[in-house]
Amino acid sequence: MIAPETARLLRKTVARFVDREVRPVANRLEEGKEFPWELFRRAADLGFFRMRYPKEKGGAGGNATLFNIMCEELARGYMSLAAITAMQCLMCTDFIFKFGTDAIRDEYFHPAMRGEKVGAFCLTEPDAGTDLASIRTIAEPDGDGYVINGLKTWITNAPVADMFTVLCLTDRKSGLKGANFFLVDRKTAGVSVSKKFDKMGTRAAVIAEVAFENARVPAANRLGEEGRGMANLMRILAEIRAMTAALSLGLARAAYDDSLRYVKERHAFGSPIGSYQLIRAKIANMATEIEASRLMLYWVTDMLDRGAKCLKEASMAKYFVSEVACRACDEATRIFGAYSYSNEYDVNRYFRDTRFLLFGGGTSEILQDIIGRELGL
Amino acid sequence: MKIIVCVKRVPDTETRIRIAAGGKGIDNSEANFVLNPYDEYAVEEAIRIKEKTQAEVAVLSYGPEEATKEIRTAIAMGADKGILIKDPKALVRDAGAVASVLAAALKGMQFDLLFFGKQAIDSDEASVGPMTAQLLKLPCISFINKLEIGNGTVTAQRDVEGGKEVVASPMPVALTAQKGLNEPRLPALKGIMRAKKIPIEELAPAQVKDRVEVISLELPPQRKGGKVVGEGKDAAVPLAKLLKTEARVI
Ligand SMILES: Cc1cc2nc3c(=O)[nH]c(=O)nc-3n(C[C@H](O)[C@H](O)[C@H](O)COP(=O)(O)OP(=O)(O)OC[C@H]3O[C@@H](n4cnc5c(N)ncnc54)[C@H](O)[C@@H]3O)c2cc1C
Repeated sequence: MIAPETARLLRKTVARFVDREVRPVANRLEEGKEFPWELFRRAADLGFFRMRYPKEKGGAGGNATLFNIMCEELARGYMSLAAITAMQCLMCTDFIFKFGTDAIRDEYFHPAMRGEKVGAFCLTEPDAGTDLASIRTIAEPDGDGYVINGLKTWITNAPVADMFTVLCLTDRKSGLKGANFFLVDRKTAGVSVSKKFDKMGTRAAVIAEVAFENARVPAANRLGEEGRGMANLMRILAEIRAMTAALSLGLARAAYDDSLRYVKERHAFGSPIGSYQLIRAKIANMATEIEASRLMLYWVTDMLDRGAKCLKEASMAKYFVSEVACRACDEATRIFGAYSYSNEYDVNRYFRDTRFLLFGGGTSEILQDIIGRELGL
Repeated sequence: MKIIVCVKRVPDTETRIRIAAGGKGIDNSEANFVLNPYDEYAVEEAIRIKEKTQAEVAVLSYGPEEATKEIRTAIAMGADKGILIKDPKALVRDAGAVASVLAAALKGMQFDLLFFGKQAIDSDEASVGPMTAQLLKLPCISFINKLEIGNGTVTAQRDVEGGKEVVASPMPVALTAQKGLNEPRLPALKGIMRAKKIPIEELAPAQVKDRVEVISLELPPQRKGGKVVGEGKDAAVPLAKLLKTEARVI
């Protein structure tokens, strides 16, 4: 059991880090479009990457609630950093930690916890986004290892990553039933990374394509039992969706905080704009939806911490809160008027960053479909 | 070596101050509380000494039950243990009373260094450190911004009007920390996870009386809007006149 006091102290500490060290540099880093090494190392020093892992094994012994509080507060500061941190904590290291040998953990997991190695997680392909079953990347058994061929795209951290956790088929005929995750070191012959994508938001969370051309990996680099790739992905899917909801909540709060301040300061027709009903309604709706989001998210993290099955609830939370973030950031840009159109204002960055939340962790459309299916349709 | 750091729970600087009903105190019901910023320098310095010398660092607070939160913040930063002298009225007592309570508790404790922040940012009296030292008959160096630990002695630097003063003292010694002493760390995750597991010892306060009474408390008058008295060179004469007659600053 984690004490509420620990959660409070964590939130306060991350908030302080964000307000002092992250928010003041966020717009500059976003303009630079480079991986934020300094903040990444600070996050490592503060122990953030260890959050989800047990203490006996080099982790901090946190739980889903603490992890999501951290993600939320980081996202309130700067989405690029929040996304990178969340991935380093979860998708980029989870399979290596759970299924890697001791030697693999020593070489990849522990350095990742210390911020010395950066991970990346590769599912998406040019012809397989939402429809993961269409992936083509293949890992063919060959002697005492596997040979990987294929192309992964939209891979966060790829330009700077030291290792990739890659979803591959081991046999094309059985489709996802023959899917496995493989650990691939960037230095492996046959691995190449494209130049980084130029994109709308989360620009410091750099993205590229990763190509595998006869890339040979040892058998021990198959992470998990043969054919259990998708089952193992399902195991952390609820966590991934909760995390994306936490990022969304943080961003919605940032948009709300800035808006609330602005409507008190900005005058029009002789009064602060916050005195006008239409503006008040915007603020009231933001606050209400944020409150609902908070309840929903931390209800899900509580289920995760109790070990309850909660994929439906996590999907609902991701869907709902990411849409709340989009609405909040949209309203914030209206409230700030022309100033939101200037790149110098934080709300401009929030608005751009919301779009990322719509796709990572499952699109709204597919989540609605999944929720419907869970409801027996 | 043993170090004790005295810390106070205070409303953070962004709290909007409201006078409580009765006009003699502050209504803190909606305040956000933090570890007093000057005490953070003291905690940080103590932890740095611990990291170099394996000293034991205890944090002592005279405060209400909720002050365990600030004690735990200090533990999360790296202190080894916490002691709370519990009293729901602690935060509104006069400096002499606070110093007496602290001194009574400290009499039974062993330490080589006794740290305080130079002042608490709520009452701003800068008195508790020196007063406690006096009651314990300890040497006291206040407002330090640099500290070196020698063999049974300390050498500290303090700012004085227009310059620096370097002073030395044998241990045990009381020290009050000034901004510039160091850059306090944020607690790392490991410290945060460990903080709750460390029990906080509770003591009852010695019975002491307040001797200073607040008679009234009021907020500064609302600032009036500025006044434009002219532009460019033409403004100089009317400005000087107003500074003399209205503002009375020249
Ligand atoms: C910033 C960013 C970072 C990313 N990082 C990574 C990463 O690190 N690793 C990685 O593997 N991937 C990553 N991705 C890719 C992301 O996972 C995919 O974008 C996502 O899975 C959606 O796939 P797609 O973009 O190809 O859209 P598509 O699947 O092509 O969907 C297009 C549209 O069709 C809709 N649609 C699809 N199927 C259905 C259906 N059955 N019913 C109704 N509507 C449907 C979708 O909702 C969407 O509106 C990242 C993406 C972004 C934007």
